[in-house]
Amino acid sequence: MPTAGSGKTLGGNVMQLTGAQIVMECLLEQGVDTVFGYPGGAVLPIYDALYEYSGRIRHIRTCHEQAAAHAADGYARASGKTGVCIATSGPGATNLVTGIATAFMDSVPVVAVTGNVTRDLLGLDSFQEVDITGITMPVTKHNYLVKRVERLADTMRSAFRIAGSGRKGPVLVDIPKDVTTQKCEFTPRRPEPFPPSPFPGDERFAQALDLLENSKRPFFYCGGGVVSSGASAEAAEFAAKLDAPVSCSLMCQGGYDQRDGRYLGMLGMHGTKAAGEAVGECDLLVAAGTRFSDRVLCNANLFARRCKIIQIEIDTAEFDKNIGADLKLRGDAKAVLAKLNRLLPQQSHPDWMRLAKGWKRDCPLRRRGGPDQVSPQDVFETLCRLTGGDAVITTEVGQHQMWAAQYYTFHSPRRFLTSGGLGTMGFGLGAAIGAKLARPDATVVNAAGDGSFHMNCAELSTLARYQIPVVELIFDNRTLGMVRQWQKLFFGRRYSQTDLGGKTDYAMLAGAFGVKALKIAEKREIEPVLREALSCGGPVLVDCLIDKDENVLPMVPAGKSVEEPILEIERGNG
Amino acid sequence: MMREANEKEYLLSVLARNNPGVLLRIAGLFARRCYNILSIVAAETENAEYSRILIVVSGDDRIVRQVDKQLCKLEDIEEVNVLDRGKAVVREHLLMKVERTPQNSEKLVEIASVFRANILNVTAGSMILELTGDAGTVNSFIELYTPYRILKILRTGSMAMSI
Repeated sequence: MPTAGSGKTLGGNVMQLTGAQIVMECLLEQGVDTVFGYPGGAVLPIYDALYEYSGRIRHIRTCHEQAAAHAADGYARASGKTGVCIATSGPGATNLVTGIATAFMDSVPVVAVTGNVTRDLLGLDSFQEVDITGITMPVTKHNYLVKRVERLADTMRSAFRIAGSGRKGPVLVDIPKDVTTQKCEFTPRRPEPFPPSPFPGDERFAQALDLLENSKRPFFYCGGGVVSSGASAEAAEFAAKLDAPVSCSLMCQGGYDQRDGRYLGMLGMHGTKAAGEAVGECDLLVAAGTRFSDRVLCNANLFARRCKIIQIEIDTAEFDKNIGADLKLRGDAKAVLAKLNRLLPQQSHPDWMRLAKGWKRDCPLRRRGGPDQVSPQDVFETLCRLTGGDAVITTEVGQHQMWAAQYYTFHSPRRFLTSGGLGTMGFGLGAAIGAKLARPDATVVNAAGDGSFHMNCAELSTLARYQIPVVELIFDNRTLGMVRQWQKLFFGRRYSQTDLGGKTDYAMLAGAFGVKALKIAEKREIEPVLREALSCGGPVLVDCLIDKDENVLPMVPAGKSVEEPILEIERGNG
Repeated sequence: MMREANEKEYLLSVLARNNPGVLLRIAGLFARRCYNILSIVAAETENAEYSRILIVVSGDDRIVRQVDKQLCKLEDIEEVNVLDRGKAVVREHLLMKVERTPQNSEKLVEIASVFRANILNVTAGSMILELTGDAGTVNSFIELYTPYRILKILRTGSMAMSI
């Protein structure tokens, strides 16, 4: 049996390998050097192969499989490559499900490998047996149960092709234990290029040019597809050529340089008033790489109702799903925008741009708080200044997530990693681990609420064990802030189950895991403490005490139009 | 099954690779996206690697376009066609057991012969009939037997083939 060090190359050599070794070889074929996972009975042969291949494939063991899935996801979002996670059968596999669903909703390429019981025990309710392909069918692009070792290599290759091509997403490969121990011939193969993406015909481009050149008030809206197709440069050029104001969805934060004068802020439930005004007043909305989520539309009937819509989208099923479009350009955002940039003559809309910039000037994001109070807005602005806007910021879900999007000025893509679609509390810390391994040169900060932190806080020990220098920045308001905000607005301040009590001693907890802890209790501490956290060179937790009645604003209440967000919430004795 | 007033029936002909679970993938997609399946008929094609699946969906034009596009995203689906009823032959297959008495026996046979239905089995107390036809024919066939105590009905969904 060849060993990992015996110089197997992609030379067309036929080898006799076990299924587990074939999994390793297929990972290497795809250029995978880092995987996240957790061992267990059904994946013993796979972990034995990982031992053998440890020189070429680094494995990070998290505390819980969910974090391994989030780490693979964070790795993929930060790098653009496909992330890989491994779990055992039964509970190991089901623990991945939230992570897989998170990646699915945000179109992140992940390959999840699970072990299963031996084939003779399948279907007999065997120990740690679960039908994980059945369970993950709705949350994967595709999944496989590999019953023959002869099919394993090609199945792994298909999994990577499906995960990374078209609209990206997670793929699960479930392998019974005896398939991973069986031997078969393996012939190394270089990954084939992805099948070509669809591309609109000339007629569509002619129609697009007609709309673009006749628009007096065009507005350009970018979604997560701009990030995943690497279309930031094309988007910037397009906005300049079209001479249009720009907004991004939560998923595209950093996909367009937010320092640019055209940028009006985020669009959607917690978007800016200026972006909402532009959607209401434009005569043409050009939307690239977006599925028009309900958190952006707010009310589909009231959204962009006075303008025409051009939708650039790779997934044809997103056309006419949540909102109709007057012109649909099916294709990769980067390629379609590049062609539009070649075809479109320079446009000029000085009056419209002046109007849009006026909205931005007149309705800036606001803040409140006394002179000594630690405002989360200040924390993010200081963090942005100290990191040059170039850190990778992962988030959990809730108020801190929105403040991160609003007050950290992202200027490059793949810096803001957030669970936008599924809204997964507990995502951020695992994602930060993956992001730091993908981008060891980058500063990685996980912004968390104290609620989200408690979901997966055991992963602090993963940071400590591997000495992964992630800053865990907790916005500690002793409450589930976003839920509290809704209770305040819509449930008569009946704070059902959202008061967390605030009994956790974060310094002691971090210390127990072997993680350094810092605290921000006063405004003057924000900058020095953040500086210390960013420069300490190891994992560090920052407990940042904020007021529990700090709100995320603006906010579009359910059913209302993005043109009319709430800008102010009256302070109460809440 | 609830049906809105503006909903129509659409016939979808789906060509799928015969991989394990492909029917579950299709059924699961319909369930989670809240599309209504009225009937489904699936069987292997002339090529054992593929199955042809006929699905009758109720909905409006927009929903059917969504169904079509969402189905096409499934890895195992090769092709989806929304059939035009005017340009397709549509057939259902019915097996029906009715109660037979000395008094009604002649009448049962008479109705069957009008419809050119086959009589597959006759016992002292029952008769099994077989009919192939479009949904309307099958419905009126069943209606005519209703007064004679139907014991069991087994009916396929629509099969359809474009002309």
